[in-house]
Amino acid sequence: MTAAPAPQPGFPDYADKPWLDPKARPFVEVERVVKKFGDFIAVNEVSLKIYRQELFCLLGGSGCGKTTLLRMLAGFENPTSGRILIDGQDMTATPPYERPVNMMFQSYALFPHMSVAQNVGYGLKHEKMSKGERTDRVHEMLALVKLESFARRKPHQLSGGQRQRVALARSLAKNPKLLLLDEPLGALDKKLREQTQFELMNIQAKVGVTFVVVTHDQEEAMALSTRIAVMDRGSVMQVGTPTDVYEFPNCRFTADFVGSINLFEGIVTTIAGSVVTVKADGVEGELEVDHPTPVTVGTPVAVAVRPEKITISRETPTDPDHNCAEGQVLDLGYFGDRSLFRVRLASGRIVLVSHQNVRRARDEERKVDWDDKVWLSWSPRAALVLTE
Amino acid sequence: MSAAAEPSHALPPPRPLGYRLADFASRSWQAILLAVPYLWLLVFFLAPFLIVVKISLALSEIALPPYTSLWQWTEDGALSIQLYFQNYAYLIDDTLYLSGYLNALKIAAISTALCLIVGYPIAYGIARSAPTTRNILLLLVILPFWTSFLLRIYAWMGILNKQGLINNVLVFFGVIDQPIEMMNTDFAVYLGIVYSYLPFMVLPLYVTLEKMDPSLWEAAMDLGSRRWQVFVDVTLPLSVPGIVAGGLLVFIPATGEYVIPALLGNPSSPMIGRVLFDEFYSNRDWPVASAVAVVLLILLVVPILMFQHYQMRQAEEGK
Amino acid sequence: MKLAVTICRRHALRLAATACTLALATPGLTTAAFAQDAEKVVNVYNWVDYIGETTIADFEKETGIKVVYDTYDASETVDAKMMAGRSGYDVVLHGSNFMQRLIKSGVFQKIAKDKLAGYGNLDPEIMKVLADADPGNEYGVPYMWGTVGLTYNMAMVKERLGEDAPLDTLDILFKPEYASKLADCGISVLESPTDVIPMALAYLGKDPNSTNPADYEAVVELFKPIRQYIKTFDSANYLNALPNKELCVAMTWSGDYATASTRAAEAGVDIELAYFIPKSGVPSWFDVWMIPADAPHPENALIFVDYMLRPQVIADATNFTYYANANKAATELVAKEIVEDTAIYPNAETMARLFTRNELPPAADRIRTRAWSKIKTGQ
Repeated sequence: MTAAPAPQPGFPDYADKPWLDPKARPFVEVERVVKKFGDFIAVNEVSLKIYRQELFCLLGGSGCGKTTLLRMLAGFENPTSGRILIDGQDMTATPPYERPVNMMFQSYALFPHMSVAQNVGYGLKHEKMSKGERTDRVHEMLALVKLESFARRKPHQLSGGQRQRVALARSLAKNPKLLLLDEPLGALDKKLREQTQFELMNIQAKVGVTFVVVTHDQEEAMALSTRIAVMDRGSVMQVGTPTDVYEFPNCRFTADFVGSINLFEGIVTTIAGSVVTVKADGVEGELEVDHPTPVTVGTPVAVAVRPEKITISRETPTDPDHNCAEGQVLDLGYFGDRSLFRVRLASGRIVLVSHQNVRRARDEERKVDWDDKVWLSWSPRAALVLTE
Repeated sequence: MSAAAEPSHALPPPRPLGYRLADFASRSWQAILLAVPYLWLLVFFLAPFLIVVKISLALSEIALPPYTSLWQWTEDGALSIQLYFQNYAYLIDDTLYLSGYLNALKIAAISTALCLIVGYPIAYGIARSAPTTRNILLLLVILPFWTSFLLRIYAWMGILNKQGLINNVLVFFGVIDQPIEMMNTDFAVYLGIVYSYLPFMVLPLYVTLEKMDPSLWEAAMDLGSRRWQVFVDVTLPLSVPGIVAGGLLVFIPATGEYVIPALLGNPSSPMIGRVLFDEFYSNRDWPVASAVAVVLLILLVVPILMFQHYQMRQAEEGK
Repeated sequence: MKLAVTICRRHALRLAATACTLALATPGLTTAAFAQDAEKVVNVYNWVDYIGETTIADFEKETGIKVVYDTYDASETVDAKMMAGRSGYDVVLHGSNFMQRLIKSGVFQKIAKDKLAGYGNLDPEIMKVLADADPGNEYGVPYMWGTVGLTYNMAMVKERLGEDAPLDTLDILFKPEYASKLADCGISVLESPTDVIPMALAYLGKDPNSTNPADYEAVVELFKPIRQYIKTFDSANYLNALPNKELCVAMTWSGDYATASTRAAEAGVDIELAYFIPKSGVPSWFDVWMIPADAPHPENALIFVDYMLRPQVIADATNFTYYANANKAATELVAKEIVEDTAIYPNAETMARLFTRNELPPAADRIRTRAWSKIKTGQ
């Protein structure tokens, strides 16, 4: 979805997904890395393999250890234990100024006393290049981020978005093997963020550098990344493509953190082939879920259903395979493209339902409205069983 | 458009009197608040300064007060004003004053530089220490102020003199055979000034260093700079406002310094503070003493204006 | 030992203290304006540690007048306060050499001598000397007095100059052959042009109160060859420097050598200090009680001055401060060892060598101060 390297002969299928290739050599290897601050364990036994030209996201809430992990990659923190290898070389104890790694800081950390060009050219001071080459490189970088005409401005004379691009240009100027981005879009407003998101991906495709991005914004992570590592309390909960993480979360945390989800706690009652039946709290009857991996009867599990996978209707659902529940609309949030319903089941349990507004309708034409008695239904394939 | 917009062509109804009074009061209250700093400067700086200027334009006489009055009512009711500029001319005539000013400026400049060299690492260390230790360290910087300034200078006399602590220790350990002459030297003056004024350098430096975004250092390091390069490229240029503020806070009082050179210094190179003291107390010539003070103030106003200019530029850039 | 608690009145803090007490006077201001002497208060301004141990308390007990007692540590401080006016004091002690100018400026009021019962106790010789500055003794009542001289660390000086050095002359200071030998053990000169320059003029055989600029040039020239041997110009620190053996020759005021000796004894330093009054003549100084023209309680002021004229009161003060007083009737009450100490009560022969300093006209004053700067800077 981002970089499109030429298919390698023999492994065309893996070109886009090197992590599926058992023979591929990871570019960055994080091996059982632990970081403690006093008694506090910020990063707990994290192992990751990141491949060349990936745009890899570390996603998690504040204090989950994602930034600490990034700072260890940059060399600002040393792991308490474990190893970090970059391009096959052990970089665990290498100081930041000797790593082939650059970082774009959350605050951008532009040097306020230097012009845009000086900022971008700062890292080149240490490269063996002539003055002319250096100027050319600065120009090249400014062209990349479309800021050629701003070279002589000072950072405080730029807008937030322009500063962000200067920071990006500066971190790319040295042509690093690995670029670390700490909340790269965090300080921008929503419109700009969406636009910049794609720009970032284009630039990555152009320069072909491996990106590791830290973010707390799951939408940003989904839109940008080749893969996402979801982190919680110092540990990596799941690593996968955005689709993996969203559609096939492996645990309650990931399911809940990435997007919104309805979780019904319950116990497995029967297993028929790949279909698992669960008796869930607060739901009448039993829920059927198409779950390919094995579970045993009696296991406490959670049935997870994304709001947009649930159909809401005033009519009784007809499809006999679908799971259904009856309830009453408690709240209705209209977002234009979709509407969000909060539906209360008879048991008092609240279920979130997202409805795509495919049809144009006036308020009074709305099919389902406040306080309506409604039926919710979803197919067994739309739900998941979570054991962890 | 709502109903409120409709009568836009009509005059707004007159506001109640009470409201208007309150409005007036709050506005004049604001004016008073704004006036306070100006009033302060007027009463405690400008007025005394004008009095000093006035005395500097009079002549010394044996009377109470010991100088002539600048204005007099003549018999026919006219006001006659008599200004004498000879006190200023006198300052130029006698090289004592020029050398006093130059010596004061030299000692103040060197002391300021020494304060910077000593104070910078201290401020840097405090700014980069953990927040809990930071407060203790700041307290330690200010701690000497809890003892009388004079007492501390006397303590230095005890440390520096021939039978003092330093000489005794050095002789005891056989580093030197004969005590070194440290008292009544320029060295002692520099030591005294640096010691006394160091907090004035450290505190503003600390403030600028402390608010510096640590990610700037990391960014520089990330871009390939070693620690000392980071310091030269980033920390130092960004701490210029602190250096200027601290420098002025040391330089200005050090220029007029009297006590330290009087107690520790070498009498053969008097600073202008000493000259001023003699003029006032020994010669009892208030007009010349005032002229010396006015010229000293003018000399010091120049760096202050430079600082002002610099700050304005900074503020402009900060916008 | 009684002297142990006495700190010399010309005390170490003088430099700094005077630096901060510019013109504006405050003490006693609150009592001004009101009630002549209905108020039982008297505001006294004196040298620090320059009175008997219990004098104030005794006076208050006897008269019921509350003494608001304020002290200073440099003559210049008093001078500046008096010239600024409205000091609020009722009685001020000041050096006689400052009197003339202040009297002329109208700072002080005449003393009603007839109201002073003890006026007759005063030494007529001293009154005569004071009449130079205060004709008819109309404004001042003398309190204590003393001289200026050289204090030696005898052992250190003898070690360098031998036994026969003329210690009772200023040759020790002004002749390079002596001064150069003493430079290493430390020579200090009083930081006081009004004392040092008249002494030097007298040494040169000139009028100590000269107004001739050439005479002052001569003094500057006199100092030039020996300036390099002078370690410091100082009126305070020698009290510690002498006991610490950092100085071997110090020009001092008469009472100070006793204080320095005591300090040495306290510190357990075995040292022999001796005070010499140079033959060429030295200034004598007198401290005088005066009443400011605007004193709020002039009647109480007279009561206080009269109390200080009582022989027993003034003798106690001398016994405590080790300074000679101007009260002839009190001499027999002063401790024997003090009266017999010629450094404090000089003998007749020495008395003959003393001279008084007159107030110089402002122009000469300036020439003297300028000469002093030149001397100190060695220009």
